[in-house]
Amino acid sequence: MILTLWKKEVQSYYSSPLAYVLIGLFSLISGIIFFNLLVSYTDNIQAMPNDYSQTISFIEEVVLQFFAQVNFLFLLFIPLITMKLFSEEQRQQTLDLYWLSPVREWKLVLAKGLSALTLVMSMLLITGVFPLVIWGIGIRDFNLLGTAYIAVILNACAYIALGLFCSSISGNQIIAALLAVLGIMFLWMISWGGHLNSNFVIAEIFTYIGITSHFERVLRGVLGTQDMIYYASFILIFGVLTVKSLGRRNW
Amino acid sequence: MDKILVVDRVSKEYPGRMAVSQLSFEVKKGSIHGFLGPNGAGKSTTMKMIAGILPHSEGSIQLFGQKVGPDNMELRDKLGLLPENAPLYLDMKVHSYLEYVAKLHQVKHVKDQVEKVIQDLNLKDVAGRLIGNLSKGYKQRVGLAQAIVYDAPFLMLDEPTNGLDPQTMVELRDFIKKLSVEKTILFSSHVLSEVEQLCDHITIIHKGRIRASGDLKEIHRKFRQGLVIRLGLGIGESLPDLSSFGKYEINHHSTLTSEEQFMLTFESESDIRFELAKFILSKGLKLMTLHVESPELEDIFLHMTETRR
Repeated sequence: MILTLWKKEVQSYYSSPLAYVLIGLFSLISGIIFFNLLVSYTDNIQAMPNDYSQTISFIEEVVLQFFAQVNFLFLLFIPLITMKLFSEEQRQQTLDLYWLSPVREWKLVLAKGLSALTLVMSMLLITGVFPLVIWGIGIRDFNLLGTAYIAVILNACAYIALGLFCSSISGNQIIAALLAVLGIMFLWMISWGGHLNSNFVIAEIFTYIGITSHFERVLRGVLGTQDMIYYASFILIFGVLTVKSLGRRNW
Repeated sequence: MDKILVVDRVSKEYPGRMAVSQLSFEVKKGSIHGFLGPNGAGKSTTMKMIAGILPHSEGSIQLFGQKVGPDNMELRDKLGLLPENAPLYLDMKVHSYLEYVAKLHQVKHVKDQVEKVIQDLNLKDVAGRLIGNLSKGYKQRVGLAQAIVYDAPFLMLDEPTNGLDPQTMVELRDFIKKLSVEKTILFSSHVLSEVEQLCDHITIIHKGRIRASGDLKEIHRKFRQGLVIRLGLGIGESLPDLSSFGKYEINHHSTLTSEEQFMLTFESESDIRFELAKFILSKGLKLMTLHVESPELEDIFLHMTETRR
């Protein structure tokens, strides 16, 4: 059943121009970011005396920076991907189709979430060209590339869960997207709040609740249990909230 | 089981407004049950409550002997609904959409079932087209197709012919009539002639309350007060005194090209046609028409929905 629902959602994405516009824009912007990082890295290397050039890490300056910027791009791209998932159905009253069939709400939420992740993955797939470019210019330092991808994918999953919930509480796509943008920004701000707070306990709580510290750890290759628990519980909480929100409308 | 649907004292309250109040009616197996009411009477709300899409605030709804509720998954395959706004994905092709609906209901032979429905509803020419590009008539057919593609034994059709061209309207009506051989149908409309043609049982609802419910003939009989006779005499002839047949009143008199026509209502309901004809002829008058009028559904409907405002 989930496969049927997922297929329909994916087909719906790829039959609309929005998906191609988003993929195109994402490729363009991420390409520019990557190019700029690479140019600035080579400039820095060339400006340094030979003995010191080894101190500039390619991973730090290009790979991690690039994925941190990709995470920033998600602030705009993921709400645009998730905004229509439930809002559009509510506007067109097509959710009745599911309430009339033996499909459980959680299956619908999961299938929609997976379809949004599929689109995000196809956007990320294009960034796979960049390591090939690096290989081509003779740089072989690919440490942390795998965990960097895992980090952005985990963040994407969390943002999708949040975006789905926002889409389920509003019949208006624009409002759903705005709510998701604000929600993601709020997650970042909590992390910043953690850094700025002088009280150790509060700072620790803020740092844990905010997404940034977890993202940075995974990005740097530390796949800790607490980060996995954080992402899993974040996705689960917003998944359950979305199901509840649909249930509230339904019955 | 004689009764497919039993709605028992069901109410639906929205904040500050009662959408339907204390509704009770039944739908018998194998019947086409007309659900009549002016716009905003609560027909769509009631249908959505029966379908389990909307919760009811009070009362109970039993479908196939089971309580309607959000967790009753078994009932979801037994009921097909064509709501006022059909749940159509405008970016899907007709064939794929119907296949999708069939798969949601885990239909065993999806392809065969979809082909059958496409054939039955004359959708073959548009099967490969996007639903968003179809005319209103075709969209409505696709909406009906989604309600029947999983072969539910009970169908609820909310104003299925509303806003369609006459030809499509007739085709859909004929199709609904055919469907009723195998299925029980609850059919809402405000086109009264349509309800009279299709339905054997009706429920009239107004401002969220039931005005009448039951066998259409029975409702006709109940509504009829006295005997209404349309009597036609020759041009220029006047009506003789008919008080020997009991108390009566002349409701209407008109001069047509071929006759003087009178609408008479007798207090007594006994059939006096033969005696009346003999009496008229014995007075040397030309008897052109003598017809017992039964009240039109429209009269009943107007009576139920206007006089009780």
